[in-house]
Amino acid sequence: MNYTNIDFDQLFGSSDQTNPVMMLIWIVPIIIFVFYGQRIQLQITSGELKKGIKKLEEYKIESRNELIGYVKKNMNPKDDPTKKIDRFLDYFTIMPVNLDPTGIVVKVRHIVRAREDYSREHVKSLSPETSDFELTKIQTLLEIATSLQMIYKVVNHLFLTAKKQNNYPLILPLQMMMPFIMEEAEAMHKAIPAFKMGQPIGDGIGPMVIGKMMLESKKELIAFQTVLSETEYAGRKLFLLKAEGPGASVGRPGDAIQSIISKNKLDAIIMVDASLKMEGEESATISQGFGAAIGGIGIERFQIEDIATKNEIPIFAIVIKQSIKEAITLMTKEIADKADEIRSQIYEMIQDNTKSGQSILLIGVGNTMGVNQ
Amino acid sequence: MFSKEKTIVAYTVEKCKLCGVEAKRKFKEGDFLFAKTSKCNSCDGMLNIEKIFGETLNNISTT
Repeated sequence: MNYTNIDFDQLFGSSDQTNPVMMLIWIVPIIIFVFYGQRIQLQITSGELKKGIKKLEEYKIESRNELIGYVKKNMNPKDDPTKKIDRFLDYFTIMPVNLDPTGIVVKVRHIVRAREDYSREHVKSLSPETSDFELTKIQTLLEIATSLQMIYKVVNHLFLTAKKQNNYPLILPLQMMMPFIMEEAEAMHKAIPAFKMGQPIGDGIGPMVIGKMMLESKKELIAFQTVLSETEYAGRKLFLLKAEGPGASVGRPGDAIQSIISKNKLDAIIMVDASLKMEGEESATISQGFGAAIGGIGIERFQIEDIATKNEIPIFAIVIKQSIKEAITLMTKEIADKADEIRSQIYEMIQDNTKSGQSILLIGVGNTMGVNQ
Repeated sequence: MFSKEKTIVAYTVEKCKLCGVEAKRKFKEGDFLFAKTSKCNSCDGMLNIEKIFGETLNNISTT
């Protein structure tokens, strides 16, 4: 084909100066896109975001209704708890000022624990006879409903602000974050049945492994909702620590270590926890590493790292990779089947990194819902 | 475009400490890990809950 004899005048119609239709076809869209391009993009993006926000609203309403229904069924409160629960759902936390960050962790711990303690007491006040097991479940359901309400409120606020201002750049960060927000909200929504039924969740793999090692030994309550037992392995003294099951609790491992170290010398700490997998990584794979394997806001991790540093105790970690959804919904078969392998890796780690006569602290980190000891 | 909702069924696996016999059944409310459930049919031991997990319906084996 010969490309040298293309008639550009004919192709673009420029030879025909009097063709107004061709001129309109070229110029009108350019004018529209110059002046209204962002508004058109805003309308298209708004449609996608609206679908997501509608879904978030459904999650918010469903989680609230599930919570109210569960409280009515299992706590048998004398009065209708709806009004009180709606008030609990609106609780907010103001984090301490960080202009001078020195000592901020202690302040955060104080505020977070005060919130936990007061919300537990407020939930209990609905029906004081409720067992601690039921109370931990209701408190977790309340946390889920509160989080879903907060996510909906924030996303809706950002969306409405962008729409009100007709500001397309303002909606862009929300559009980019929306898939991640939806993934987390969906995971929280799907976690509700597991917590209602008292089933172990993916995050409970750490407590499951350590809980089984604790079965034959005497248990003592060492910190709030946290149990400790002692056993021996290959001439080493093992301290086994986990949140007290089978309620929905993560315990207070930081306080527990503080208490253990005040009476005993520790030579190593091994932490077993669930960890978020990266995209492309296979679920339920086991990885070993160094450092404190514990999630949350950071107050427990800070306390553990502080004690370990002051006492020169090495911290080893074994993590079980999983997605956010797997971590907070009913434990999958693939994760549950890894428990024995994790236990043998712990024993191998003890043999490789410690000597006979030494003391090792093993911590099963995570939510111990449905996991006894 | 069409996302299919997967149904997840919860299962409980019980194991006898004495003879090692394992049995899989559907999860019942009140089940929790390491709880003693009933006497073993094969020996005098007790059955303990060894695992609780969820399986998607199309993934379920018939063991």
